[in-house]
Amino acid sequence: MTDERAPDESATDESATGRRGRGSGVKVWDAPTRWVHILIIVLIGLAWWTESHDEMDWHIRIGCALLGVVVFRLAWGVVGGVTARFTSFVRGPRTVLAYATKLVRGGASEDVFGHNPMGGWSVLALLGVMAADIGFGLFCVDVDGLESGPLADRVSFQAGRAAAHWHTVLFKALLALIALHLCAIAFYAIVRRENLIGPMLTGRKRLAATVGQPGLQSRSPIPFWATAAIAAGIALWAAYGFRI
Amino acid sequence: MAGRLGGMKRGWRTAIFVATASAVVVVASAAAADVVSVIQARQTHYKEIGKAAKAMSEQLKSPTPALPVIQAAVKQIDALAPQVPSWFPPGSGPEAGVKTQAKAEIWAKPDEFKRDSAAFAEAAHKLDLIAAGGDLSAIRAQAQVMGQTCKTCHEAFRQRDD
Repeated sequence: MTDERAPDESATDESATGRRGRGSGVKVWDAPTRWVHILIIVLIGLAWWTESHDEMDWHIRIGCALLGVVVFRLAWGVVGGVTARFTSFVRGPRTVLAYATKLVRGGASEDVFGHNPMGGWSVLALLGVMAADIGFGLFCVDVDGLESGPLADRVSFQAGRAAAHWHTVLFKALLALIALHLCAIAFYAIVRRENLIGPMLTGRKRLAATVGQPGLQSRSPIPFWATAAIAAGIALWAAYGFRI
Repeated sequence: MAGRLGGMKRGWRTAIFVATASAVVVVASAAAADVVSVIQARQTHYKEIGKAAKAMSEQLKSPTPALPVIQAAVKQIDALAPQVPSWFPPGSGPEAGVKTQAKAEIWAKPDEFKRDSAAFAEAAHKLDLIAAGGDLSAIRAQAQVMGQTCKTCHEAFRQRDD
């Protein structure tokens, strides 16, 4: 799961920037960031499917797993690889506007190491709406008062119904953000001829030589395992109604 | 003279018109107020059922279920369930212009609605009897049966939330 590599291997990678066939380019996304992305796609799909097929026990378990993944990603935004860190990709409005202007004017394709200034806000919005939606999900009660989230017994029936309403509203907001996200990927692929999906799967991206990034460096595995253990613990704890 | 008579006639006509119009407005708004209170009462009753069902299912999921809580909740559901058909007088559907999730199908398919609500009342009564016995696994099984009657009826006759 971690992006740890032997020092000699990463040295090879850096020197081979843009020159090798397989694994060409520099490393831009560490393994935990990529796995979080894949897990989020799979878990949101499963959460949607189980809810629409009335498999509420599974829907709740999946929601708790997703809670763990989101908690992990938020923590990884502090202790993770450089490109995963919020401080590296959350940029001010002026930078975002400047980037958007350049994008609209169809300026020369520019390779960004990590999230671009607009994509950074997309990440924050997606994670924020997901976190809030999961938060409401914990307190949901269905209309019959029979199915309920792991924290629903702490609130009244009315409050649980209100939580269910907001859970639905935020899911729609999340779908809208996902649609926007896919449109942005399509825009980069079609208009700018930039493949964003490949790097998110392999972790590697061929950057313009002028950028001259060395790529992600090898790191200690301790932050990963510590964060993963805490996130898994929170997911399990949620599944048991925060009762242990 | 003739002018005064004409004026009086006009006065009468105006008075009759005003009286009729106000009567129509009063009756219509009284009817509307009645529909509003019918729908509100219905929603209050359903929320009582939901609250009781929530209390019951929380105990059934708990590692240490409190039987008296379950029995009280189930008794309340059993008392309300047979009243369900009476909460849906004609005119209290979507056409009332008040926010309600009651579908027009309730009045379009009265036999099916009667059957579904009767199934709920029957399941609730049976659950009440079983709960009095205190056998938790039997209560859980019958609670599932009753929950299914909620879902069946809601699927056909209640607008989904959004």
